[in-house]
Amino acid sequence: MIDRLPLPAQFDRLIIVGGVAVGLVMTPILFVLLALLIGDQITAAELVFWLAFTVIVAGASGTVLLNNIVHAALSLIATLLGVAAVYLLLATEFIALVQILVYGGGVVILLIFGLMMTNAQDDPVVTDGSQKPFAAIVGVLLAGVFLAAVIDAEWGSETMTVVPFRDFGARLFRDFIVPVIIVGVLLDIALSGAIVNARASRIEDVDADETTSEASS
Amino acid sequence: MIPIENFLILSSLLFAMGLYGVLARRSAILILMSIELMLAAVSINFIAFATYLDGEAFSGLVFALFVITVAAAEVGLALGIVLRLFRERRTAYVDAADSLKW
Amino acid sequence: MGIDLVGMEDVWILPAIPFAVFILVSFFGRLIPRNGDFIAVLGMALVVLLVGLVLVDFQGAFHDEVFAPIAGANTYSFDWIDIGDGFFVIEFSTYVDAVTMVMLPVVSFVSLMVLVYSIGYMKGEARYGWYFAALSFFVAAMLLLVISGNLLQLYLAWEGVGLASYLLIGFYWERQSAAEAAKKAFITTRIGDVGLLIGIILLWRVTGTFDIQEIIHAAEEGVFGQTYLTVAMLFLFAGAAGKSAQFPFHVWLPDAMEGPTPVSALIHAATMVVAGVYLVARMLPVYDEVLIARDVVLYVGLITALMAATMGLVATDIKRVLAFSTVSQLGFMFAALGVGALTAAMFHLFTHAFFKSLLFLGSGSVIHATEQQEVGELGGLRKKMPITALTFTIGSLALAGIPVFAGFWSKDEILHDLQHYGPFAAYVILAVTAALTAIYTTRLVLLTFFGKPKNEQAYEHAHESPPIMTGPLVILAVLALVVGFITYQGVGESLGFVGGIGELVYLPHHGPHVFKLDIAFAAVATATAVVGVAIGIMYWWGDARRAIAAQSWAPELHQLLVRRYYLDELYQGVINHVVLGAAAVVAWFDKRVVNETGVDGSTQFVGFLGYRFKFLQTGRIPHYVLGMALGVAALAVVAIGTT
Repeated sequence: MIDRLPLPAQFDRLIIVGGVAVGLVMTPILFVLLALLIGDQITAAELVFWLAFTVIVAGASGTVLLNNIVHAALSLIATLLGVAAVYLLLATEFIALVQILVYGGGVVILLIFGLMMTNAQDDPVVTDGSQKPFAAIVGVLLAGVFLAAVIDAEWGSETMTVVPFRDFGARLFRDFIVPVIIVGVLLDIALSGAIVNARASRIEDVDADETTSEASS
Repeated sequence: MIPIENFLILSSLLFAMGLYGVLARRSAILILMSIELMLAAVSINFIAFATYLDGEAFSGLVFALFVITVAAAEVGLALGIVLRLFRERRTAYVDAADSLKW
Repeated sequence: MGIDLVGMEDVWILPAIPFAVFILVSFFGRLIPRNGDFIAVLGMALVVLLVGLVLVDFQGAFHDEVFAPIAGANTYSFDWIDIGDGFFVIEFSTYVDAVTMVMLPVVSFVSLMVLVYSIGYMKGEARYGWYFAALSFFVAAMLLLVISGNLLQLYLAWEGVGLASYLLIGFYWERQSAAEAAKKAFITTRIGDVGLLIGIILLWRVTGTFDIQEIIHAAEEGVFGQTYLTVAMLFLFAGAAGKSAQFPFHVWLPDAMEGPTPVSALIHAATMVVAGVYLVARMLPVYDEVLIARDVVLYVGLITALMAATMGLVATDIKRVLAFSTVSQLGFMFAALGVGALTAAMFHLFTHAFFKSLLFLGSGSVIHATEQQEVGELGGLRKKMPITALTFTIGSLALAGIPVFAGFWSKDEILHDLQHYGPFAAYVILAVTAALTAIYTTRLVLLTFFGKPKNEQAYEHAHESPPIMTGPLVILAVLALVVGFITYQGVGESLGFVGGIGELVYLPHHGPHVFKLDIAFAAVATATAVVGVAIGIMYWWGDARRAIAAQSWAPELHQLLVRRYYLDELYQGVINHVVLGAAAVVAWFDKRVVNETGVDGSTQFVGFLGYRFKFLQTGRIPHYVLGMALGVAALAVVAIGTT
């Protein structure tokens, strides 16, 4: 069994390649930002923001562009951690923590399990009828529209309202108790649905599964 | 003090990239990941608006929390569906789910 | 006022009774013993009773020998349809005056007689219950027609009697000829009915009301233009001529004899066919304003009377002879109306209803007994069927215009009025027609009841009809004998009524029409009738040798009459070439342009589009998602572009 698990070697290479890539991209940016910080061009918060910005954009690009599915998953983790940093910058520590816990700890693990159970198929190279050009058009169009709207708008207020941790919890369970309960029920139902969907519904299915997977392997 | 536009620009880019991923990818798992990107973009927007524009700064936070929760549920459910698809079609590519036109 | 249980304002109840009977018998007839025929008869008897009460109330409304009811005492109305809060109101209204009071007893009494008679005549028929239901429906519509206070309601009832007529002519619809005749009757009268509707709309356009009295009032005040009113009244007369089988619409009535004989007696002799006369009589004050239209009524009446009488001379079917006679007598009435002689026309309508329904019922008795309708198969029946023969003869004498019998008085009155108010030629034509009437009536009686039986088998088979049939015959025969001089003058007065019909029915601006029996004039009329009868006896007595000789003397003329002046062929030709030709054009347009290009074309276009674009439906989710995203992007671009 062990010799059929190629993961360690892959991960070694992955970590090395990924680390080098991240270092190559991040180091100049970090230096530029540090220089700006020292020159009092930006504040520390802005430094962190731009770092997070870089991580998120780079990670998201990796997620949607890399053909290797494991690389894409790792990029996703980086992106989500960057998003958690953005939450911190917005003075919502609780959400940031939840983000790390749920995404980093839950969702991504689930996804990695999912891709392992589906033989970790990489994204295929589609030669006929690829949607990528259309997808790029739509993405660029929508991004343009959003950016135009954001830049064009008068946002007014430049002050941040900070909600203390304690108040957040108190109000969540006082004013939003019903939605919280409903979300709990929703999670329950989703979980049940996931189980029902994922398990082999009939014995014959399981048999067929095993025989075909043996045949294919 | 970071202006709100910065966060909004970030979320716009993130959302557009997620959408690109959803449209361009063929592997169901990768599409799920792209959806997560879009959801993260939405959450950033919610929280930015709540913090900067809402005097109470609360509803947006709750929404972000719920988005995260629902995203978790969605991933669980969607993975179940992907597994089902994989078992039926021996592949996790969404092209395999073509029985809408029989 | 006398008994005021049911007064003139309550006449709406009269059509309600037979209509209720119709509903009851047609829907639940199977559940009722005898299919509910007794309900129809009892309902009709009740109507006759109520008409009597209304008559008493009507008598009470006379003051100083003038019909002057308390305001509103002879009308009843409520808003039936109100569109736009008073913008367009259709009323249900009833109106009772002398003309109505002539019609009501005729319709109700003849209906009762026919219903009683039908119990015997229709015995054992299939659809026995349906027959009584349909007859009740007819009576309801007819009563509604004569009490209508406004034209739209009258039109409704008008179509109602038309429908009943259609149903009853086609009662034996298994028979091809009956179905054809029903269709012919319906379509022919319908052509006239369209005219009637146009006329009604034309009158409404100017006055904004359907109320008959208001329209008459407006016409007398000169609200209408002369030409406009002439056109409107001619359209109205087209409806009347269609319903009353006047030239050129007369072709349907002889064929309508395909229906059961009692139906012919009621609908196609006594009541429905006089609806046209009633309509013109009702609107006569308006016709008096436009003399051109009134003259048209006169000429149509004259042409019809003469033409139908000549056709009656050669018809061999006993019922068709009577049908031609009916058309001819209706022509008399229209001719009288054409010179403004309302009294004479209504008087003739009144008497004619009794003796003509008597004749039809008598012929029905003959047909019932022998199952033969052709006079060539009958003969000598007076020995076998004495009551029928006697009553039939009385009716015939009344029709021929022999003194004392009802027809004499009314026909004499029409001739008298024509001589006084009309052109002399009109009088001559009607006098000749009266003579012809006497001739063909005599011929009919002789061929049917006298001479030697021509069909021994039918003769052997013949028997007198049961009492339930002869009873109405006897009653109607008595009435045919006396109704003329009772209503003519004096006798009614002594019975407690106001007086002769002349003091009841008259145009307001003419004043009461007091009959004076002009001895010389009556003598001429009597002589005409007697000569007619004599000629009839001369030609058709015994084995009718002279008649056959006359036939071979002018075969073309005989053929012309037998073929009814080739009018049916003419109409058929017009239909074949003109109507069907136009229909073919329309059909072509409908088929090619509307159907194949419009309907099929649009579906084929949609199908073509679907065929062309079905490649878009790949069934693959990414394609659908892409489409959705493209749509969202497009919407976003539009949104940002517009703000």
